[in-house]
Amino acid sequence: MPREHLLKIGVSGIRGVVGEFLTPALACSFGQAFGSYVGRGRVIVGRDTRATGQMLQHAVQCGLLAAGCDVIDVGILPTPTIQVYVGTTGARGGIAVTASHNPPEYNALKLFNAHGLFFNHYERTELIDLYHQSDFYQAENQEIRGIRCDYESPTLLHIERVMKHVDKGLIRGRQFRVALDGVNGAASVMTPRFLTETLGCRLDAISVDPTQPFPREAEPRPDTLGALAALVTAQGCEIGFAQDPDGDRLAVADETGKVLDNDDVLALAVDAALERLPGDVVVNLTTSSVIDDIAAAHGRKVYRTPVGEANVVEMMQAVNAVIGGEGSNGGIIFPSVHLCRDSFTGMAFLLERMAKTGLRVSQLAAGLPRYYRKLGKVAFEHGALGTLMQGLEDRFPDATADRSDGLKLQWPDRWVHVRASNTEPLLRLATEARNENAMEDLYESATVLLSAAQGPAQVE
Amino acid sequence: MSKQKTLRLSQVGLRGVVGGGLTATHVLDFASAFGTLVEPGRPVIIGRDPRASGRMVREGVLAGLLACGHNILDLGIVSTPVIQHAIRRRDAAGGVSIGASHNAAEWNALKFFGPRGTYLSTAEAGELLDIYHLKKFAFAGWQGMGKLELVDHAVDRYLDDLAAVYDFDSLRRFRVVVDCCNGTSSVILRRMNERFGFEFILINEHPEGVAFAHDPLITSRTIALQLAPLVKPLHAHAGFLFDVDSDRVGIATELGEPLSEEIMLPLLTDYLLPRGPGKLVITNLSSTALVDELAARHGGKVIRVPVGRQATIDALSGYRHDQIALAGEGTGAVMMPQFEFVYDGIASMLAVLSMMHQRNSTLSEILAGYPKYCILKGELPLTSARIPSLLTDLQKEYSDGRATTLDGLRVDWPQRWFHVRVSQTEPIVRVICEQRGHPPSVLFESLLEKVRSLP
Repeated sequence: MPREHLLKIGVSGIRGVVGEFLTPALACSFGQAFGSYVGRGRVIVGRDTRATGQMLQHAVQCGLLAAGCDVIDVGILPTPTIQVYVGTTGARGGIAVTASHNPPEYNALKLFNAHGLFFNHYERTELIDLYHQSDFYQAENQEIRGIRCDYESPTLLHIERVMKHVDKGLIRGRQFRVALDGVNGAASVMTPRFLTETLGCRLDAISVDPTQPFPREAEPRPDTLGALAALVTAQGCEIGFAQDPDGDRLAVADETGKVLDNDDVLALAVDAALERLPGDVVVNLTTSSVIDDIAAAHGRKVYRTPVGEANVVEMMQAVNAVIGGEGSNGGIIFPSVHLCRDSFTGMAFLLERMAKTGLRVSQLAAGLPRYYRKLGKVAFEHGALGTLMQGLEDRFPDATADRSDGLKLQWPDRWVHVRASNTEPLLRLATEARNENAMEDLYESATVLLSAAQGPAQVE
Repeated sequence: MSKQKTLRLSQVGLRGVVGGGLTATHVLDFASAFGTLVEPGRPVIIGRDPRASGRMVREGVLAGLLACGHNILDLGIVSTPVIQHAIRRRDAAGGVSIGASHNAAEWNALKFFGPRGTYLSTAEAGELLDIYHLKKFAFAGWQGMGKLELVDHAVDRYLDDLAAVYDFDSLRRFRVVVDCCNGTSSVILRRMNERFGFEFILINEHPEGVAFAHDPLITSRTIALQLAPLVKPLHAHAGFLFDVDSDRVGIATELGEPLSEEIMLPLLTDYLLPRGPGKLVITNLSSTALVDELAARHGGKVIRVPVGRQATIDALSGYRHDQIALAGEGTGAVMMPQFEFVYDGIASMLAVLSMMHQRNSTLSEILAGYPKYCILKGELPLTSARIPSLLTDLQKEYSDGRATTLDGLRVDWPQRWFHVRVSQTEPIVRVICEQRGHPPSVLFESLLEKVRSLP
C-alpha cells in the first residue's frame, strides 16, 4: 500500500503538509541549523506564492537571525531568480520557501550554498546531522543582526543575465503574440514584465495573480494545461508558456495549442545553446535520445547522470557543460545564466529561435528527430527490487546495461529505464524508441515482467 | 567565557538571556501556545522594544501566531502601554509585547495580554504554560493562515486618549528633561513635542539594540547618573527616567535631586485619592509606608499583597474597578483606572505634571509636605536552606510588632517595618527596612547579619 508522506526530513531538505506536520518550529530549527552551517553573514530568503509561505518565511528568518545571520528578504520570487541573486551577491547561502510542483497543502525549504547552487550531497548530509544534533549557533543579543528587504534588484539581475545570451532586438522586432499560464505562482509578476517590457511581446496571460491559489495542478504537463491551450487558440497566439509555482520549470504549447513534450522543449534549448557556445551536454538517464542526436549534429558529447537536479548540476560542473537538464520535468539548465533550472532562459531561447528561423513552434518541433515515449509506474514489495532488476537485465542480454540509477537497458534505437522512487515504494518505468511499435513492445514486455508477481502497471 | 544560562518560564511569560537561555525554539513554541490559547476571529496586536534580539523574537512570534490562523497587527517598536492601548482600541483578541523592560540589554521576554489589553490572570497564564508544555498547538490548516498588517498610527491614537484625560494645554508649559534610556519612550515624547508643542528635552533618545546608556533600572542611583545633574542647569521643572518599555518611571526634582523609585506610588496616591475618598490603593508588602500615611490623610485604604506583578493583577480582579484609586509597586510602576489598570510610565508622568499644575507647586514643594521615610534595601545570595526557620525565629524575636506572613515575613511597628523574603525571580534573599524620620540602620544591619550567618 502506498504510504502518505505528510512530512519528510532528509537529504533533500524538509518538505511536508503545513500545519500539524511541517510546523513553524521545525522550519525555525531548520533555518537555525542552516545558519549555523553556512556561518554568520548574509543569507537570502524568498518564497513562492503558497498560502503558508509567509508564515514559514518568518519562522525560517527567526532561526537564521538566532544563528547570527544577516537576512535579506527578497519576497515572492522564482527559485532561479533567488539562486542567481545568491550566487552573485556574495551571500553565505539562500533558502527558498517553496514546494515547487507539489500540491498547495505542501511546502518545503530549498537550500542553496554561497554559489546559489542546491546543496550537494555532502552539504546536505552535514546540515541534516547538525539539525538532528540540535547543534545550533546561539547568537547573543549583540550578535543578532536584522532583516533587509530587496524586492527589485534580483529580478533585474536575473533578466539582465538571460538577455546577455539572446538577441534582444531580433525578438522585440517580431512583437510575438504570446500566451502565459503563471499558475498564480512566484513568477506571476516577473514573467509578464519579462515578456512584455524586455522581450516586446504582446501578452495574453492567465493565472498571474500571486495572491490567488493555484488554479490547476501545480506541475505543468500536457494534461494540466488545457486552459493555456484554449487561450493560445482563442487569441491566435504564436506560442504558449506555462510555469510551475516556483518558476523553474517550463512547459510550451505550439500555435495550435498542442503542449510539447518536455524532452522536445529541452532539445530545442540544447540546439540553441550548442549553436551559440562550445561545450558538452548533461542530461539524466531518463531524458530522451533526441538530445544525443542534437549533440551529435553539433559534434558534442552527452553525459548521463542519475535522476535529480543536483546530480545533473554536479556533472555539469565536472565537465564544464554548456547546457543540461532533465527532459521529463521541464528543466533547462544553462550555466552561463546560472547552474539551475530556469524557465526564463527557456522562454528567451525559444522566442529567439522563432525569430531567427521564421518557423512556427510546431515546425520547430517537427524538425526534431521523432521518438516515441511512454512513462509508467509499478508498485513493488520491499526486498523484491533485486530480483526484479536482475530478471529484467537477464531477459534482454543483447542490451547495454547501465546500473548507475536503477537499471537502464540501451539498444541503438530504443531503451528502457527502471528505477525505484525515492519517496514511495514504486518502480518508475520509462521507455523510448524510434518506432512506435518497438516502443510499445518494449514497454509491454518490461511491465509484464515487472508486474508478474505484483499489481498491473499504471501508465502515467 | 561560558554563556549565561538563564531562562524563566512563568505566569508572567517567558524571560531569558538570548542565546544562553532563551532560544528561537522557545519563542516559536510559546507563540504557538499563545496562538492556541487566544480566541480566533479577532486580530492579535504585537510590538517590541529596540533590543537587537527583538528582531529574531518578532519573526518567531509572527510565525507562531500566523500558523495558528491569527491575523496580526504589528505596531513596530513601541512601548508596552501603547500595545495594551491598541488591543483595546482595535478590539483585538490579545497581544504580545516583546521586550525585557528593566532587564539588561542581553535579556528578552514575551509578555502576553488578553482582550482589552489586560494582563493574563493566573489561571489563564497557567493554561498558557500547560499548552506550552504539552506542545499540542491548534495550528490552522494550510488554507487558514493568518495575515500580517503593519500599523504605524498606534502612538497617535494612544496620545489621543491621553489628551482626553489630561489637560495638555496646561501641561505643555512645563520644561521637562527625560532620560529615555534608549527605550521606547522617546518615540512617544518626540511625537508629543511635534504634535502638541510639549517641551520634553530628551537624553539617551536613540532607540538602541545592544548597549543602553546605563542600566535600565529605575533607582535613585540611575536617576543620579545623567538625568538629575541636568535638571537645574536646563531650568527644567522636573526630570523623568523611563525604563526601556516605558511602564516604569522615576523622578528628579527641579533642584536636581534624584528621588527614590518608591516615590511614584505615594505621590500619585496623594494626587488621585482626594477625588475618591474611601477608595483603595493596591500595592505589595515591600513598598514604602508613606503610601499608608498619605492614603490615611485622604481617608483611603491600602491593600498589601505579595510581591510580583501577578499578585497585584489577581488582587485587582477581586474588587470592582470603581473601588480602586490606583495600584502599583515601589519600582516606579503604577496603574490607574483611567487607563484600564495598565502600568504606564508616560501616563504616570503626566499625572505628576497635572498635580504640579493643579497645586501650582514645584515638585520639591509638594514633597516638603510629606513626612520623611528612609528605606534601606539589601539583597544577599540565597545559600542557606534555613530561611523558613529564620523567619519563624524573627517572628518570635519581634513579637511586639504586627507580623504578616503572606510573602516571607513582614513585621510592622507604628513608625517602622521590615520585610524579609526570598525572591521569586533570582536566587537571593531580599531584606527591606523602613523607618519614619531616620534610617533604621541598626535593625537593617542586624537582619542582614542574621541572614548572612545562617548555616
